[in-house]
Order: sequence, then structure tokens, then C-alpha cells
Amino acid sequence: MTASVEINGITGSIVLTGQFDFSAHRDFRQACDEILADANVQEVLVNFNAVDYLDSSALGMLLLLKEKAASGGKSLALVNCRDTVRQVLEIACFGKIFSIR
Amino acid sequence: MKILVADDAEVVRLLIGRFVESLGHEVVTAKDGVEAIEMYQQCQPDMILMDMLMPRMDGPESAREIKALSTQRWIPIVLVTAVGEEARLADAIELGADDYLLKPVNYRILEAKIKAIQRTVDLNRKVREQSLKLAEYYDHAEEEKRVARHLMEQLVNRERLSDPQLQYWIAPAESLSGDLIASARTPGGVLHLMLADGIGHGLTAALNVLPLTQPFYAMTERGFEMHDVLIEMCRKVRQVLPTGRFVALAFVAVNFASRHIEVWNGGIPDLHLVGEGGSVLKTWRSMHLPLGILPAAQLDVTTERHVFTSRSTLLVCSDGLIEARNPAGQSYGAPRLIATCGTSAPGEAINALIADLEVFLENEACHDDVSVAVVDIDPHLPELKRSVTPSAPFPGGLSDLDGEARWRYLLRLGAEELRYVHTVPLLMSLVSEIKPLAQAHGDLFLILTELFVNALDHGVLKLNSSLKEKGADVEAYLLERSLRLAALTSGHIEIELSGYDLGGRSMLRLRVSDSGDGFDVGSLKPYNESESGTRGIAVVRALCALVQHNASGNSVEAYYIPRLP
Repeated sequence: MTASVEINGITGSIVLTGQFDFSAHRDFRQACDEILADANVQEVLVNFNAVDYLDSSALGMLLLLKEKAASGGKSLALVNCRDTVRQVLEIACFGKIFSIR
Repeated sequence: MKILVADDAEVVRLLIGRFVESLGHEVVTAKDGVEAIEMYQQCQPDMILMDMLMPRMDGPESAREIKALSTQRWIPIVLVTAVGEEARLADAIELGADDYLLKPVNYRILEAKIKAIQRTVDLNRKVREQSLKLAEYYDHAEEEKRVARHLMEQLVNRERLSDPQLQYWIAPAESLSGDLIASARTPGGVLHLMLADGIGHGLTAALNVLPLTQPFYAMTERGFEMHDVLIEMCRKVRQVLPTGRFVALAFVAVNFASRHIEVWNGGIPDLHLVGEGGSVLKTWRSMHLPLGILPAAQLDVTTERHVFTSRSTLLVCSDGLIEARNPAGQSYGAPRLIATCGTSAPGEAINALIADLEVFLENEACHDDVSVAVVDIDPHLPELKRSVTPSAPFPGGLSDLDGEARWRYLLRLGAEELRYVHTVPLLMSLVSEIKPLAQAHGDLFLILTELFVNALDHGVLKLNSSLKEKGADVEAYLLERSLRLAALTSGHIEIELSGYDLGGRSMLRLRVSDSGDGFDVGSLKPYNESESGTRGIAVVRALCALVQHNASGNSVEAYYIPRLP
């Protein structure tokens, strides 16, 4: 699992690859902190294009990011969610509190 | 450092010793290889400077033995050698010596070597300290886990899970499970079952699910309905869990008497009702966010009901089972679960599943906690026969009551209170305080529920009882009921409980009056045992020694005599 940051104007993306689980904790938090610290960024995107699996601790990390983004006045969306990822997000009904594209 | 200097020449011992002392180290000496070993054991030096050639035992041999003795820590040995002994020196280093120094000793080099060795010794000591700390930490963690496991087992309450209709299996990924299964019956015999899955696994996940057990058991026992229990569990979870932690939960209520299943699913994989032969009769998808994400006020407690008519099996499992992977990377999946459990005899489903999963996994370990609960849904259970053992008729007449009631409790609820007070659980907590009644928990729950619900639904809310008859749409009835209750502005219900002494036995007199128009008292039918599933006033009549309506039918008195144990 790797988490890299791409900032493009007001949009900051966290691009994830591999398995998104507890082992990603440190990398993900660093990427989040980096993006949230950028005052120009208004929209945070978490890009799941290259993620093949995520577990419940990953969902917990997304909730933390959501809270931090909200307190920083930034919007948040989960993008490019493929089959397995979409399925896990659906079971947890995360569509009710996240914008999933 | 404490440095051992071993040399057979006294002058060398003295010269090197003085120099080493001048560097601030402590010196001990030995005059041959044998004494070096003795001094090593006695003084535990941090480093040894050893001459190659000594009487009794030479340097390399002594170094070899000292190394063999020092298994727990590293003792650096530097051989001091004359030019021309290189061949033996190489052997000695291979056998355990760490370094060498040429004679005559260059003090500048000796000082540098001691410093280099000091650095390594320090590093070594640090590693040793850390590994000791790690070992201590490990023991500590193991002990904590042992205590936590014990607590979990106590709180989860294994005995209560031994319901005749329920089978379950929990296989933790680590020594503690973050999955939790709990079940209990309401006083009215409704089976409440929950399967919870905390984030991650191990101790923290287990801690996440623990707050659920207390409200689940306490409220189920007092007859609260599942949405009330859910709201309380949500409140508890929100109260104790930090952001980013949540609990996926499936809550199931099976009413074997009225033959329906009610499910609330927040974040648990699909629940399935599987008929004989393995066909899927009903699927409950996850419709809600897991508990802990939204505050209790925003919790959606909408449930999905299903009326069952035939023998079937209800399957609930955590994602750990669906996602369990075999060495080929395939996951176990819902279809295989349904096929395995659906085609095995009722009561055998769990064992069939465990065996099949083992075959599937081919010795691969599960990466997540696995938990499964299987409910044998049997519409022909003689459920009511247990509780409805008709009471003996009232001995004599009401005039036999000797005087005053021993105790009396009166509750009057107006329209506003009827909307939010949990009346039956409230009365049940009173009943459980009264010693002679505590044993009759189940009977009294049925009687109280029936009389109160009649007074509310038909008396105050004026719902037509034909809406509730067989074949009627339960969903529509409940919807209409909640609409009328929400719009209620007038009306009241009065409930009076009083305890009497009846020739040495206690008796409960229960009066329920409502502000409604009453009903035609003459239309009541007696209780019929063959019509199991009929709750109704007939059940109350069977359980009580006497039931009397007033002429207009808006007040009823029931006399209940607890059976002798």
C-alpha cells in the first residue's frame, strides 16, 4: 500500500495503491496531513483506482479524514471506486455520508 | 568499563593496567589462561585483553572457553600478539576472539580499540535492554489479553446463547475476537439476536463491541422492542468510542408466535433466509450506517419485516466469513455459505459450515474474525404452550379477598405520555421488584402487553381489530398505528396493580382502563389451545384466574395467581 499526494490548484488528491488496511495507517495519515495543511486546497479526493481491497480499519481512517476535512472547511469525495471497494463501501452504507464518484 | 588484562609477565600487566586505568577504566588481572577464566566468572569484566602465549592455558584456548561460557551477553576479547604468530591468530579469531593488538603495544592504538569496543558494548547493552523490555512487554500484553478474554466471555454470557433455535460459531483471527454474537429472549419469548463486528481485530476491536452487551441484555429482558434497544446501543457506542471507530451490527428479532422476523442491518453482509433445499426466501441488505458514526438522534431505526410460513434457516455472518480466502485467492462467498447451510438438516448447519470452510481454506488462516449465527425458523414451534398453562379458576368469589391490598401502584398516562413512555418495560421493572411476582415474569409480560396494547390500539387510538387478523397486512396496521399515535391529542390510560393475600398465596389484581368507547364484551371467544399463535385476550383469560370487563368494555380487571414453583 502506498499513498501519494497530487495537488492541482484547489484540488488535492490522495492516490492509493494496493491493499488499504491498517498497515496503511501511517502513510495515509501523512498524506492526509500534507493535503489538509495546504491552504489552497478546497476539495480533497481520495482516488481508489489502484486499490483492490479495503477493510473496516480503512473505513475508520476515511471517517477521521472526513472529520478533519470538514473542520478545515474542505469538501471530500471518494473517487474511482472499483468493484470490491464499491461493495465494501455499499455494505457500510458510506454513500449516506460520503460523496462517492 | 571493567577490563581484564591477562598476561604471564607482571611488567606487562602493570604497564597495560596503569594505562587502562589512566583512561578511566577499572582493571582486573590474571597471570594465565586458567586464571583468566576464573577472573572472568568472578568479576564479569566488559572486555578482555589477552596475551597469546601463557602457561597452563594459552590465550586462544582461554578465549574459546570464555566465549562458550558467555551465552547471555557479548564479551569482547582482544588478543595481544607478537609478530610472526599470524597463523595461530587467524585460528583464534575464527574460534571466538574479536580483535588483536600487536606487541609491542602502541598505546594510541590500544586507546582507539578500547573506545571502538566500548561503542559496540554500549550498543550491545542497549539491544539487550530493549529485548528484555520487549519480552516484559510481551508478557504484560499476554496477561492483559487473558484478562480481557475472561471479561469478554463473562459479558457475552455463553449460557444465554444456548437458545434451542440458535447455533453460532466465532473464530477469532487473533486471541480476542472483534466479532460478538449475543442473544436473549424477551419476556414474551421473542428471540433477540445481534451480530456485531468492530473495526480491526484483537483487543481494541473487542473493546469496541463490549458496550453493546449491557443495553442488549438489560433491555431485552425487560421487554423493550428492538428499536428502543438500538437507540440505546447507538447512544452507548457514541459515548465511548472515539471518531473513526464504529461497530457494524445486525439486529434480528424473531417472533415465533406471530411468525415474523424483523431485521435492522447496519454494515453487516446480507442476511439470508434459506428454505429447505437451499432456495433463498428473503435477503436483508445492509440499509444503515454502522453504529457509532451518527449521533443517536439521527439514527434510522427502520427495520425490514418478513412473515415466515415454512421451516427455514436464517443466516447471519460477519464479512470475515464471506471474505475468507483460500490459497488460490478465492473468497468463500455468500453462495457457498447458502448452499452449505441450506442443504443441511436443521441443527446441523453450523457443523456443516465449519467442515466446509476447513476444506475450502486448505489450512490457510483467516485474516479477519469469522462469526456466524444460524437460527432455525420453525413456524410450528409449540411456543405458546410453555407459557399458557391455563390457571385454576378463581377460588370462590371476589368477596374472598381479605380486606385491604398489601400494596398498590397506579399509573395514569395522558396522550403526551402515551407517545414516549415505554409502559410495559416500566411495569415489568416494577413486577421484577415484587418477590412473589418475579418468578412469573413471562406470564405477566404477556398479560400486561395484551391489556395495555388493547387499551391503546383499540381504546385510545380506535384502530379496528380486524386489521390485525390473519392475512391482514401487518405493515399497514403498524404504519396506521404510528400515524395515529403521533397525532394523538386527547385520551388516557390508567393502569392499576395491587397485591393481595389470598389464603396464604399472593394474587395480583390488574386493572386497565382507557378513555375509549369500549367494545361488545359478549363477542369474546374462549382460549383455544390448537390455535397456537393466537395471543389476544383469550391468552390472558387462560393465564388468569379471572378476567372481568365492565359493561361498556373500556375497563378490564384481571386476577393473576402466580403458580407455585
